[in-house]
Amino acid sequence: MHDPATAPAADQIALRAIGVSKAFVSGNLRTQVLHNLTLDIDAGELTLIAGPSGCGKSTLLSILSGLQKVDSGRVQALGSELGQLDLRALERFRLEHTGFVFQGFNLFPALSAFEQVELPLNHMGLSRDEARHRARLSLEEVGLAHRMRLRPAELSGGEKQRVAIARALAKEPQLLFADEPTSALDAVNGQMIIDILHRIASVHGTTVLCVSHDPRLVMHADRVLAMEDGRILSDRRPAASAIDNHGIPS
Amino acid sequence: MVALARKTLIYEWRRFLPAMLAVGFAGLLQLLQIALVLGIFGATSLYITGSSADVWVGYPGTQNVGSGRSIDADVESRILLDPAVTQIEPYIWVDGDWRGPHETGGVSVFVSGIDPAADGLMFSRVLPPALRARLAEPDAIVVDRSALDQLGVGLGQIATINGHQVHVVGVASGLRALGGVNVLCSLDTARRLDSDVDDIGPTYLVARLRDPRQADAVAQRLRGDKAFGPYTAWSARDFARRSELYWLFDTGAGAGVLFLAGIVFLVGAVITSQTLIAAVNGSVREYATLNALGVGVAALRRVVLEQAFWVGALGLLGAGVFGIVMLLLAHSQDVPVVLNAPAALACILLVMGLAAVSGLAAMRSLRRVDPATLLR
Ligand SMILES: Nc1ncnc2c1ncn2[C@@H]1O[C@H](COP(=O)(O)OP(=O)(O)OP(=O)(O)O)[C@@H](O)[C@H]1O
Ligand SMILES: [Mg+2]
Repeated sequence: MHDPATAPAADQIALRAIGVSKAFVSGNLRTQVLHNLTLDIDAGELTLIAGPSGCGKSTLLSILSGLQKVDSGRVQALGSELGQLDLRALERFRLEHTGFVFQGFNLFPALSAFEQVELPLNHMGLSRDEARHRARLSLEEVGLAHRMRLRPAELSGGEKQRVAIARALAKEPQLLFADEPTSALDAVNGQMIIDILHRIASVHGTTVLCVSHDPRLVMHADRVLAMEDGRILSDRRPAASAIDNHGIPS
Repeated sequence: MVALARKTLIYEWRRFLPAMLAVGFAGLLQLLQIALVLGIFGATSLYITGSSADVWVGYPGTQNVGSGRSIDADVESRILLDPAVTQIEPYIWVDGDWRGPHETGGVSVFVSGIDPAADGLMFSRVLPPALRARLAEPDAIVVDRSALDQLGVGLGQIATINGHQVHVVGVASGLRALGGVNVLCSLDTARRLDSDVDDIGPTYLVARLRDPRQADAVAQRLRGDKAFGPYTAWSARDFARRSELYWLFDTGAGAGVLFLAGIVFLVGAVITSQTLIAAVNGSVREYATLNALGVGVAALRRVVLEQAFWVGALGLLGAGVFGIVMLLLAHSQDVPVVLNAPAALACILLVMGLAAVSGLAAMRSLRRVDPATLLR
C-alpha cells in the first residue's frame, strides 16, 4: 500500500488528496460537490475546514477518512492508498488509525459512558484490562472521571459530546475527524470541546481535521482552510501567538 | 467485552417486549397443541402403553390395536418355545354395541378381554389389582370413570353388550378411549360377548421377555413362522407407535398439527422480525458510528443475532413456565395432555428457529448502516 514517492514525506503529511472530484446524482440532477481538489494535511496539527453550508465540507471529510469513494483522483492516508482498499480493509484501517466525532453524539442509550468508550476498544484486540485502562484515561482526559457510570440520558449535551470524543480518543488514533462537533452545544460547552480537540493535537500529536462554522475554533486552529463550492479558497495559519500558546489550555 | 446486545435488551425491554411475547405465545401454542394431540392420541395406544407386555403377536398388517383379527390359539405354544419369553397371555378385542339401563342410544364399546390373574400383563399399569381380581367374576366389567355418563350406567348396575348381560363391578381412571368407550372384562366374558363366529382364537398374544431390551430382536425372530396360519409380531414400542401414527394421519390431526405449527411459526416470525428490525433501525446511527470507528459489519451482525437469541430464550422461558402451569391445570381437570422429551424438543427447536429466522431478517436491515450518512 505504501507509495514510495510519498513515503519520505509521511512524517509530515498525514492526509493527501490529489485531484479529487465527487458528484452526487439524484434523479437527473447532478451536483458536482468537489472540483478536482488537491490538498495536504500536516500531521499533528489541528486543521479547520470552514465555509458556507453545502459547499462540500462534510463530503471532503468523509472522503479523506475513507467513508466514501471518490469519482476521480486519489486519497492517501498515513501512506495508504485508500482507493485500493476494499470494504474490509477500510474497516481495518479505520479501526487502527482513525477516530470520529460527529455533530450528533450517537451514543448507545443502554451503555454507561465508560462502556461507550470501552466498546470499540474490545474490537481492537486489546486485553480487557488494557481496554478498561484506556477508557478510564480518556474519560479522565475529557474531564468526565466522575460521570463514567452514567448513561446518555443522565448526561448533558456537552458531556455527551465529551464521551464521544473520549470514545474516539481512547483508540489512540493518528487521525481524528470531527464534523461540526460544537454546533449542538452552547458557548461554554463548545469552548470546552474546542480546548479538548486542540489539546489532542498538541499533546498526543494526533492529526485533527475538523469541519466547523464556529468562529472560536478558528482562533485555536493551527491552520484554517476556507472552502467554497467544492474548492479550497484560502489556506492560512492564524496568528503565531496562538501557536505559542500550544501547551497551555485556555 | 461490553455486552451491547444484552444491555440494550434490558435497558430497552419495552421495545423488545412484542418480540418476546410473540415468541412466547408461539412456543406456548405449539406446546399445548402437541401436548393435547399426544394426550388424545396417546389413548389409542393405551392398550400397549398401559400393559407390561414387551412383544405383541397379532394378525399380519394390523394397523392399530382396534383393528386386529383373531389368530390361531396354538401360536401360543410356538411363542413359548422361544427362550427369551417368560410369560404369555391372550388378549381378546371385541367391538360391542352397548345398551345401558338408561336411554343412551347406541354406544360403541371396545371390549378388552384380559387375564384377570394377579400377574396378568394387560392393563397392569392402569388397573388396580383389586379391580383386576373382581374381573374373574363371570360377566363382570370395569369402565373408566369419565365414561359413566356416556354409558348411562353406575357402579353395580346391569347393562348389555351385544345382547349379553354384564354388570359394572368397578370404575378405574386412565382408561379413556378415542372414538368409543373401553370396557374391561375377563377372557371368558369376552368370548361370550363375541358374536362373530369367525373368531376362533384370541386377537392378540402378548408376551413378557426376560430382557425387555431384546423386544425388537425377539419380535423379528417370531415373525417368520407360518406353521399356525397368519400371524406376526411387533415390539410393544413399535406397535404403539404404529397405532398412534395410524390415528394421527387417519383423522387428519397430523396434518392439522403441522399446518398450525407452520402458521404459528409464520406469524411469530413476522412479529419478531419486525420488532427486531425496528430495534436495529432505532440504533442505526449508533451502529454506523461503531462502523466508522472500524467495528466490522460482521460484529454488528453478531449483536443483532445475539439479541434474537435472547429474545428467543426469554420467550421460551416464559412459554415454559406458563405452559407447565397450563398443563398442570389441564391435568387436574382430566383434560388428556401428555408431554414427552421429543415433543418438548420440537417446541424448543420451533421457537429458537423462529428467533433465528427473525434475527437473520433483522440482520438484513444492517445494510442501512452507512457511516457516510453521519457526515452531512
Ligand atoms: N448522499 C448524497 N446524495 C446527494 N447529494 C448529496 C449527498 N451528500 C451530500 N450531497 C450534496 O452535496 C452538497 C455538499 O454536501 P456537504 O454535506 O458536504 O455540505 P457541507 O459543506 O457539509 O454543508 P453543511 O455546512 O450544511 O453541513 C450538498 O449540496 C448536498 O446536497
Ligand atoms: Mg456538513
